[in-house]
Amino acid sequence: MEKKSPLKIENLVKKYGAFTAVDSVSFEMKPGEIFGLLGPNGAGKTSIISCIVTLQEQTSGRIEVFGHDCQKETKLAKAAIGFVPQELINHGYFSVEEILHFHSGYYGRSNNTERIHYLLDKLALFEHKDKKVKALSGGMKRRLLIAKALVHEPELLLLDEPTAGVDIELRTSLWDFVEELRKDGLSILLTTHYLEEAEELCDRVGILQRGQLKKIGPTAELIKELTQREIMIKVSRELESIQHAHLIEQEGQHLKFRVPSDKGVGDLINDLGLDLNLVMDLSIKEGSLEDAFLSILGGDVQ
Amino acid sequence: MKKTSDLTWTPFFSLYKRELNRFLKVIFQTVFTPLITASLYLLIFGVSLGKSITLSSGLSYLSFLIPGLVMMSVLNNSFQNSSSSVVSGKFSGDLEDLRVVPLSVSQILWAMSIGGLTRGFMVGSITFFVGQVFHYVVIGELLSVEQPLVLLFFLIIGGLSFAQLGIAVAFWAKTFDQMSAVGAFVLTPLIYLGGVFFSIESLHPFWKSLSYFNPMLYFINGVRYGLLGQSDVEPWMAAGISLLALCGFYFLARFVLKKGHYSRW
Repeated sequence: MEKKSPLKIENLVKKYGAFTAVDSVSFEMKPGEIFGLLGPNGAGKTSIISCIVTLQEQTSGRIEVFGHDCQKETKLAKAAIGFVPQELINHGYFSVEEILHFHSGYYGRSNNTERIHYLLDKLALFEHKDKKVKALSGGMKRRLLIAKALVHEPELLLLDEPTAGVDIELRTSLWDFVEELRKDGLSILLTTHYLEEAEELCDRVGILQRGQLKKIGPTAELIKELTQREIMIKVSRELESIQHAHLIEQEGQHLKFRVPSDKGVGDLINDLGLDLNLVMDLSIKEGSLEDAFLSILGGDVQ
Repeated sequence: MKKTSDLTWTPFFSLYKRELNRFLKVIFQTVFTPLITASLYLLIFGVSLGKSITLSSGLSYLSFLIPGLVMMSVLNNSFQNSSSSVVSGKFSGDLEDLRVVPLSVSQILWAMSIGGLTRGFMVGSITFFVGQVFHYVVIGELLSVEQPLVLLFFLIIGGLSFAQLGIAVAFWAKTFDQMSAVGAFVLTPLIYLGGVFFSIESLHPFWKSLSYFNPMLYFINGVRYGLLGQSDVEPWMAAGISLLALCGFYFLARFVLKKGHYSRW
């Protein structure tokens, strides 16, 4: 049997009054992939996630989680999802371990100590398990949110800006953990405005702008398609001024070109008719997702 | 292979257990403080002032007061439990959890209202116990329960109703102030005027007929009938109107759980 898509969104629209936060967005995730939703603040990333977990009511469209309609088969859809919200949550009365036990119960798991201890250990919270949430640091609270999302071994993990306001050390360890989860077969949707994060983790990304999905595709391909590489050549003697479409700078012995990502160095040197013996040094800077992002969004990045 | 999960009873009992543990963790504030209040009422109204009050039914004022105070404890504490659970959830942000996890509106509604009823019952029982002590000391005998099933019926209906009302009000409230305003300006007056401390027979005819529009009157007099075997209102009428009130509060709570916002303040 073919595996059902972890998440299928069709023509999702979310309006707040007259404001359209999500404008007819459609995409489908593949089993086991990490899919990134990218966009500047206010692009509609959190609204999409909120509709999936029913924190917001969608205006129209259809969301399916492993074939279960989020509005009609809510329980089955929710049972398959682990959700890590963007904002930290406090819990007034209970300790870390108690919270995880209640949370397991909500997902129908009454004796879940083994899994809870595994997650506490994995997320370096074990020694804090008897503390109340308000006694935890921000980073620990963030990890508790992740533990909560994973107590019931979900098949689809939704991470809403998982590393917003997180220090570099924790960010790296979270990335490693996400990679590990993917290896276990979990499908992961994450929203981020850190492009580095998307580049590092995501198999595919969708770029959102003002509620619309502008571009979707494998991360590497998007970068290739939308970015340019910079090629710097140092030659052994000063050349007379060069005329070339991709030349952006010529200063003494240094030449700098910006070429489409699919153009090779050899092609460029051939174009120039440059004697290879003159080339002293050569360096290439590949385009980043940031460049791709900017080329899609134009000046709309805050 | 993944463990199979039961999405019917386990989630319900987990939430019920949370509701229970929440008030048991602060038991001093939630259960013992009402104990002091009830004792003071009994001492001041029941014993001191009660000596100079004679009731047409021939009952002692202390006997008359006890069922009123019991029901007042049940109503207040049921309301308190569910409303403070929702409000503190809004404050800390974990109310969102209830929406995200596979709990249905019915499961949330019943787990919270039975949680509220449980606290109402505990405090109501303590109030009854203290009342019995006073009754024994002052009158020389314990108050016997005339209609235990009727008593139970009204306590359950009242507790569930107020727990559900608590959910509705707490979802509606946008601030702590709004929340306490409902308590101070609506609920407390209605409970006090519903005949906790007096028989509506003693009121001016205008106020008396107005009292019949107060649903608390039926809750409180139902309990009074269950305990003493007599009340201001016919027990069948009290039962009917109390059930109607429960239905009203139930649908109100259902509506807010379905349509209300679970987001943090």
